[in-house]
Amino acid sequence: MNDKNVIEIRDLQKYYGKVHALRGVNLEVKGGELIGFLGPNGSGKTTTIRCMLDMIRPQEGTIRIFGFDPQVNPMQVHSRVGYLPGELNMEANMKVARALRYFTELRGNSVDWGYVKQLAERIELDLSKQIKNLSKGNKQKVGLVQALMHRPQLLLLDEPTSGLDPLMQQEVYHLLKEAKAEGTTIFFSSHIINEVESLADRVAIIRQGVIVEEAKPGTLVGIEVRRAHIRFKDIVDVSGLAQVEGVTLLSQDGGSTVTLRVEGELDNLIKALGNYPVSDMNLERQSLEEAFLAYYESPEKEEI
Amino acid sequence: MFTEIKHTLRRMRGAIIGWGIGLFAYGLLMVSFYSSLEMMEGFIENLENYPPEMLAFFPNIMEIMTPQGYMDTYYFSYMTIILGIFAISACANLLVSDEEKGILDLLMAYPVSRSGFFWGRFAGFVIATASILLISWLGWLIPAGSSGLELSALEMLRPFLPLFVVLVLFGAMALLFSMLLPAARLATGLASGLLIVNFLLIGLANINPDLMPFFEFTPLYFYQGGAAIGGLDWGNLLGLAGISTLMVMLAWWRFQRREIRVGGEGGWKLPRLAILGKRS
Repeated sequence: MNDKNVIEIRDLQKYYGKVHALRGVNLEVKGGELIGFLGPNGSGKTTTIRCMLDMIRPQEGTIRIFGFDPQVNPMQVHSRVGYLPGELNMEANMKVARALRYFTELRGNSVDWGYVKQLAERIELDLSKQIKNLSKGNKQKVGLVQALMHRPQLLLLDEPTSGLDPLMQQEVYHLLKEAKAEGTTIFFSSHIINEVESLADRVAIIRQGVIVEEAKPGTLVGIEVRRAHIRFKDIVDVSGLAQVEGVTLLSQDGGSTVTLRVEGELDNLIKALGNYPVSDMNLERQSLEEAFLAYYESPEKEEI
Repeated sequence: MFTEIKHTLRRMRGAIIGWGIGLFAYGLLMVSFYSSLEMMEGFIENLENYPPEMLAFFPNIMEIMTPQGYMDTYYFSYMTIILGIFAISACANLLVSDEEKGILDLLMAYPVSRSGFFWGRFAGFVIATASILLISWLGWLIPAGSSGLELSALEMLRPFLPLFVVLVLFGAMALLFSMLLPAARLATGLASGLLIVNFLLIGLANINPDLMPFFEFTPLYFYQGGAAIGGLDWGNLLGLAGISTLMVMLAWWRFQRREIRVGGEGGWKLPRLAILGKRS
C-alpha cells in the first residue's frame, strides 16, 4: 500500500429525479488497498461506482481517480480500470473467445492473450461456448476475465462473486489477492459479509447514500456489539447490570444465567460484574453481518 | 472507433447479407421482365384507365416503357419506405438497444471515448447501408445488357445516391429520437410513422394540390428517385445530407451528455426538455 490516493470522493450527491441516491459520499482509497464497499440493495454502492466511471453524472461533489476527473478525462480513468458491473450483460450471439477478443480490441490490443487464456483456465471458463448458452455463474467468469485481463491498476468490482459456487469464489479471492500483491488497488462492493471480512483491508459501509463507517473489518467486529453470556453461582438480581451504560439485558434464564448485549468497551460491565458471583462468562464476538445489521437497525445511527 | 466500425458491421452482417441477397434477386427479376414489357400491347393505355388515386403514388408510371421510368416505378419510388424501415430500426437500436440490455454499462468502462463509440457505430451503419445498395445495384447492372435496359453503370448508379442519402437521413432521425425518447422502440415507431406519413403524402399531394405545401417541407419532396438517372440534383442532395448531419450531430451531443442507464436507476421517463440536457 502507498500513501497516494487512488480514489478520492468528496461530498458526492446524486439524484434520480426526486430520489436522493447519494447524499454526500466521502471516501479515500490508497494505492494498493483492497477495500470492501458494503451495503444493502439500493444503498448507493452501484451508483457510486458508476459515477467513478462517468457513466452517470453526480449533481454535486468531486471524484478523482488517479488524480483524474472522470467527467473530464474518462479515457485516462478507463485505461487504468478493470470494471465488473453488478448486472453483467454481454452480446448473446458471440462466443466467449470472440467477446474477449472484442474487449481486447477495445483496449487497443494491448492485452496478452496468453494471460486471458490462463485466467480462463483458472476459473474453468470454456472459451468456445456461446454467451447465450452460459449460466449466470459462467457469465460472471467472463466478466471477471475481462476485468482482470489487462492487469489494471484499479479494479472496480460490483459484487464479483455473484452467481459463483463456493469453490470458484475461493479461486476469485485468490486472483484478487494476487492482483493486490502486484500492487492493484481493489474496490469491490458486496453484501456478502464473509467475503468482505476475509478479503478487505478496510470496509466502507454505505447506507441510504451516506458512508456510515470506515474501518478495518476486525475493528468493526470488535468495537460495536458483543453478546455476553454470564452464568452466576447463585440466583441473583441482575437489574443492576441492565443499568450499566451500553448494556442491555437480552434474556434471563432462571436468574442464574443472563445474556447481555454490550455496546462499545467492556470496562463498565466488568467493573459492575465485580459485585456479582460470576461462575462463567462467554463473550460472543459479533460477525461483520451483525455489525452491519446493527447500523441498519440502530435508530441513532440512522441520523449519521 | 475502428473497432466499433468493425463490430457494428459484424453485428449487421446478417442484415447486409439478407437485404443484399433479397434486393439482388429482385433486381435480376425486374430486369428480366423489362424486355417482356415491350411486348405487352396496350399496356400504357391500360394504365391510363387506372384510378388516379392508385397512379398518384407512382408519378413516373406513364414512362414505364423507358429505363428511367421502369426503374423508378419498380424500385426507387417505394424503396425509400422498404429500406427506410431497415435504416430506422438499425439506427434507433444502434446505441440505445445496448443500453436497454445493460451491455453499454460494461462497454462504456473501456478506454474508448463516447465519441468513438458513437461515430464508430454510425459509420458502421452507413457502410452497411451503402453495401446493401451496392449489392442491389449489381442486381440491376449485371443482367441489364441482355434485357434491353440500356443504361450505363454510372447512370444506373446515380439514383442510388439520393436513395442512400434519404436512408441516412431517416436513420439519423431515428438515432436522434433514440437519444431523446425513453426507449428504442418509441424512436423506431415515431421515425417509421413519419416516414410512412411522408410517403403517403406524396400520393395524396398528387391527388389533392392543397396538400402540396405540406409535402414541400418533407424529406421525400427533395428525393429524386429514378429521375436521378438523367443527372443528380446536387442542391437537393446536399440539403438532405446537411439535415442528416445536423441530426447526427445533435444525437452525438446528446450521447456525450447522456447518463448510461441501467435498470432501477431511474431516468427511463420522457425527459423534460431533453435536448437541453446539461453536463453537470
